This record gives sequence, C-alpha cells and structure tokens, in this order.
Amino acid sequence: MAAVQAASRLRQPKAPLKMRLVPYLFLLPNMAIFGLFTVWPAINGFNISMYSSSNGRTFRWEGAGNYQRILTDEDFWGIVRNTVVYALSFVLLSVVLGVMLAVLVDQQRRGRTFFRSVFFVPVLISPVVAGLVWNWMLERQNGLINTFLGSFGIPEVPWLVDNALAMVVVIGVGTWMQVGFYMLILLAGLQSIDPSVYEAAKIDGASRWRQFISLTFPLLQPSILVVVVLATIHGFQAFDFIYTLTGGGPVGATTLIVQYIYENGFVSPIRYGVASAGSVLLFCAIFALTIVNWMIGRKREAA
Amino acid sequence: MAKKIRTTARLLAALTAVAMLGACAPGQVEGQGSGAAPSAVKSVDPAEFAGKTLNYVYFTDGPDAQATAQLISKFEEKYKVKVNLETLPYKDLVTSVHARLSGGNAPDVVRLTGLTDFRDDLLDLRGYLGEDYAKAFLPGPVVGATGKDGKMLAVPSDLTLNGPFVNLDMFKKAGVSLPDPEKPWTWEQMIDAATKVQKATGSQYAFAMDKSGHRLSTVLNQYGTALVANGKSALDAEKAKKALTPLIDMMSDNRMPRDFWLGSGSRYSGANEIFLAQDAPVYLSGNWQVGQFAKNAKFEWAAAPNPCADNCGGFPGGKYMAALQQSKNPALAAEFIRFMNRTENQETFIKAGGFLPTRKDLTEKGVAYPARQADMNVFLKDLARTPDLGYAANSDPAFVGSATELVNAVSDVVGGKKDLSTAVSDLQKKTQSLVEELH
Repeated sequence: MAAVQAASRLRQPKAPLKMRLVPYLFLLPNMAIFGLFTVWPAINGFNISMYSSSNGRTFRWEGAGNYQRILTDEDFWGIVRNTVVYALSFVLLSVVLGVMLAVLVDQQRRGRTFFRSVFFVPVLISPVVAGLVWNWMLERQNGLINTFLGSFGIPEVPWLVDNALAMVVVIGVGTWMQVGFYMLILLAGLQSIDPSVYEAAKIDGASRWRQFISLTFPLLQPSILVVVVLATIHGFQAFDFIYTLTGGGPVGATTLIVQYIYENGFVSPIRYGVASAGSVLLFCAIFALTIVNWMIGRKREAA
Repeated sequence: MAKKIRTTARLLAALTAVAMLGACAPGQVEGQGSGAAPSAVKSVDPAEFAGKTLNYVYFTDGPDAQATAQLISKFEEKYKVKVNLETLPYKDLVTSVHARLSGGNAPDVVRLTGLTDFRDDLLDLRGYLGEDYAKAFLPGPVVGATGKDGKMLAVPSDLTLNGPFVNLDMFKKAGVSLPDPEKPWTWEQMIDAATKVQKATGSQYAFAMDKSGHRLSTVLNQYGTALVANGKSALDAEKAKKALTPLIDMMSDNRMPRDFWLGSGSRYSGANEIFLAQDAPVYLSGNWQVGQFAKNAKFEWAAAPNPCADNCGGFPGGKYMAALQQSKNPALAAEFIRFMNRTENQETFIKAGGFLPTRKDLTEKGVAYPARQADMNVFLKDLARTPDLGYAANSDPAFVGSATELVNAVSDVVGGKKDLSTAVSDLQKKTQSLVEELH
C-alpha cells in the first residue's frame, strides 16, 4: 500500500514555482513583522546579554559574565523563589477558579452573558491602575478593606507590610485580574462537549459530581492545558500590577524576576547586559516549562 | 531516525547562527572611540545662530515650567532662533535620551539631576564658555558638573538642600519651643521635641521622612560619613550605625511610619502627604516643598535648620544643564546654557521654582523670593553650614546606586530581615562593588 502511494506521489506533476511560492507570499507580511519585532529583538537580546552596556550604544564583551553575576547573586535566588511561589499558586488558582467559574456560568440559564462580562471586566483594566486601586484598598490605616473589617471588630491587617500576607495579596490580585480570561477559554471548551454524553450518563444514574469527574474534567483537558500554558507564561511574566501594588516589597518579598530585569535595565545604574541575561534566563525557564506542559498534555491525549 | 537527524541538524544550525550573532557586538565596542572630539570654538558671532533650531529636553518640578518658557522666549527673540522645549516625565528622561542618542536624533541641551548616565556623551563646555566660566558658580555644585581632566560637562542651574519642616500649630499647642535658627537642634533634641509634640497633640507619628537614599544621606552626612566620595566607597560603619539607629528606633515603635517605609517596595515614596495631613509634626524633605506647602498646607508651618551631629547643614541636590556631543549646534547649545544661567535669568528661574542659587553673585546678593522668604533663608543659611562631603558624595557616579542600596539596607533592618550591623556591612560591600563597576 505504501509503495503504491509513493508511486502515485512520484507520478504527480510538480506545481510551477510561482504556485509553490504563493503560500509563502501570503505568510510573508506576518512573518516579516514577527521577525522584525519578535525574532530579531530576541536574538539581539541574547547577543546583548554577553556584553555590558550602560547606554545601549557602547558595549564591553563579558561572555558569560552577566550570567555568572546573576547566578551568584544571593538576591536573585530569593527573587527566583518568589517567582516560583507566585507562578505555581497563580497557575493552580487560575485553573481551579477558572474551571469552577466556567462550570457555574455554563449552568446559568439566565444572565450567562452578564456573568461572563462581570468576570471578564478585570482583564480589561490596566494592570497599573488595578495595582494602584488595590494598594489603596489594602492600606493598613484607612484602607477600604480594613475599614470594612474594622466594622466587625477585626483589628487592622497588615496586608502590604507583612511578607507572607503581601505575597498572598499579590497572588490574589494577579488571579483576580486574569481568571476571567481563562474562564472564557474553559467555557468555550465546556460548550464544545457533546451534550449527549451527559444524557447517557444521566440515564446510567451518574451523579453531578460523577459527571464532572468522569466526563467534564477529562473532556476539558485540552482547554485546561491551554490555560496551564498561558497561566505559566503570565505567572512568570507578572510585574506591572505588582510594581504599583507593593513595589516588590516589603523587603523584596514580592519582587519577581521581571522586576529584577526592569530595575537592571531602566533604573540607574543601568545595566542592559544584566537585564538581557535575566530575560534570556526567564525565556529559557518559560520555554522549558511550556515544553514540559505540552509533552504531558500530548501523552495524556494519546492515552 | 532520518527525521531525528534532520531536526538535530536544524537545531544545531539555529544555535550556531545565534552563537555567531553573539560574536558580533550589538553596537560600538568600548575603547574604539565615540567619534571625534568636539573642536574648540574660540568665538562665534551670535548673528550666525539666526534661523537655527535648538532642541531642549526638560523635566519640570512644576512651578519652574512657566519661567523656563518665558526665558526661552527671550532667548529666541534675542538670537532669532527657535527652541523646541520637550518636557518629559522625569522617570523616562534617561531612557528616552539614550534612545535618541542611539537613533542619531540627540537633543542639543538636556536638563539632568546628575551626569552619571551621560558622562561620555556630554560636550566639554570650556571650549565655548571659557576656562573661567565655572568660577562664577559655587564650588560645591561645580564638583558635580566636572568630568575627568577638569572637563566642564554641565552648568549647575539650580540647587536644592534637604532639611526639616515643622508644624507650628502643633508645636504651639504642645508648648514645645522651636530651634534657634542660629543654633540648630542636635538630632537628640529634634527627636525629643518631635516625640513631645506627638504625645501632647496625639498625632499619629512624631517624625516623617521621604523614603529616599538621598534623604537618608542627609543623616549620614550629619554624622560625618557618606556612601561614596571622590571615587571611593566612603561609608564608615560605626558612624553609619550611629546615624541610622535613631530612625530605625523610631520606626520600631512607629514614631516614624513603618508601613510607609515598607509598603512601597523598591519605589521612592514622598512623605509630604503625612505632613500635610498633620500626622507628623516634623518632616525631613527639602526646599522644593516650600512652594507646595505654601499652596496646600492648612496650618502654620516653617522650615527649620537641619539638626546637627558631627556636622550641621543639609545634603545638596540640584539640576544641571548639559549639551550633548551629538548636538548639531554645539555653539548655540552652549550659548543657550550661558543665557539661561545669567545672573538675572537664573534669579527668575529659581524664584519661580523655589530653588537655591548656584551662582556666587546671587548667593552673595541674596534672592528675594516672592513668598516664604524666611523659610528660604533657613535653607540659604544651612547651605553655608553644609560640608563639602555632601557635594562629593552626591556627584559621585556610584551615588545613585549606593543610595538605592542604603534604602534597601534600612528596609532590611526595619522589616526584620537583618540586624543593623549586618545590613551596614553588606551595604559597604555593595557600595564598594558599585564603585568598582562605575569608575
């Protein structure tokens, strides 16, 4: 059979060169923009990571010096720990809450669009503004939340000045900002599940929980994989709202890797090489985790 | 198998391409020279400037913007030129000017708070303004404008000085006396007075201070030490501990706002709102607050002389006007800087902005400010008491980075991450490393 197919392929006349070029020409504008604004800066960033520069114009060769400097910096490993704690918690909460919200919204007969919009609104808010507003609400004295808690006799909670609480706040605000987006992805996944499988399960006497565990969850896995990959990327790249919410404090307890990169690249003394090396390390970490996620997902799909 | 070999070959090719790109410098390699040195211009006929355009990159502290625009109009009229005033947010200024230098679109003149980020890009103004031009200015600010081999890389256009403010209403209510302008408080006396006022008035805090390494350097300077000076790490551990202990003690019992210090992470934070809300009777900031307080304070207040320890006086800051080597009109840029810093023009500018003068003649003559003269006189008097160490520290290329580390060190102690001795010892190491990196 294979031999017959190969022979028929050989007999097919080759399309003229012009025709073979057509798909590439259609792709060219997009690829040119992608190459110019994504691939080239990424390669150049890797290149800059091997030099030191304080002005972006004159460079001194460092080789692996910037990487060595980062990897031997005690503060950096604390920042890595914070980033891992944040990213893991963010991914976990995003998936769990995203699935819960998607299932709840999907079950609504009335007002589904309204609830979908309500949970999606935080995604539309500028992260900088979200950070500032939460900062104001979480201030120990005169903050909206502590004032509210105070009316029940609860003493002031140091949300932003206690190391552990500040991390909890940052994870909570980060999840609040993004979970609506993940909910939409999961909702689309839920709605693509054939309703007849639920009907069959009901006839078989499966409870709602059994239906969720044995049908919804396994059939939703491709969407969950997408959410896990996107949340991992978002989690490792979190910066803007944290900078306005806690500034990375108290005492660096919520400083994540992108803030480390930002402060080396844009706060005096400027170190473009160190910032680029940090970016390369972050890229490698996200790339490796995405590949792992993808491989696990493929294995599950195959099983 | 063949597919695997093809994939591996492609991966290796991509890696080789990236590695080869890595071998190409992304820009000019240091040591290859940054273009021709500017040729010295002995004299230029002002008539030659007519019709030319000058780009001035500026950031504003607020009230100075209008005075700058007025002075620019006068300059345009006198020389028949056009000046494009480009006002940028302060935090974007350095990266924006760097980007413009990279793109070959450099402004002609730029207003800076320090030369560290542009030292190699600035025009030596001696060729245009003369070797003796700097003598018209106070020696302290000139230190910050001077480059290697005595190059005059900028002109100090205004001066600021850190110092405390007091809430007169609260002091009066508490019956606590103010310091004699001729005989300032010691640090102990100031804290004692602030604490008494806090207790008597029930204010939330006794003392507030901006979260800034520059403001903390005031205290170091008063206790006879500095982070860096003259190209060396200059921090004396014992003096630093003595200087920082009162602040840390006050934050530990919340006489000074602990949340304010810890809650903003690595960001600068001004405590002016705490003072304006009458939550603290004493606030350490600087003379640039005078205009703001005159407008917004709903109580009687005054500037107080800086407290003394080993030294008296405050810690200096200020701004510079510099021309860039890439300027297409260097002679016009130098003339613009000279014009803006003439006695009468600097006087107009500093009066509007509430700054202190950098010119010797203005300092000797005195400046009649439109309001709050007595408070500005307090700063002017403190200027005379300020030791040279402060100017040397503030102008050092490693100062800004070291000041950030100083804030981090205090935060580490206040947040309970380190004890003071360890924090100061780590700060010394970081400062030393910054000096080695930036000199």
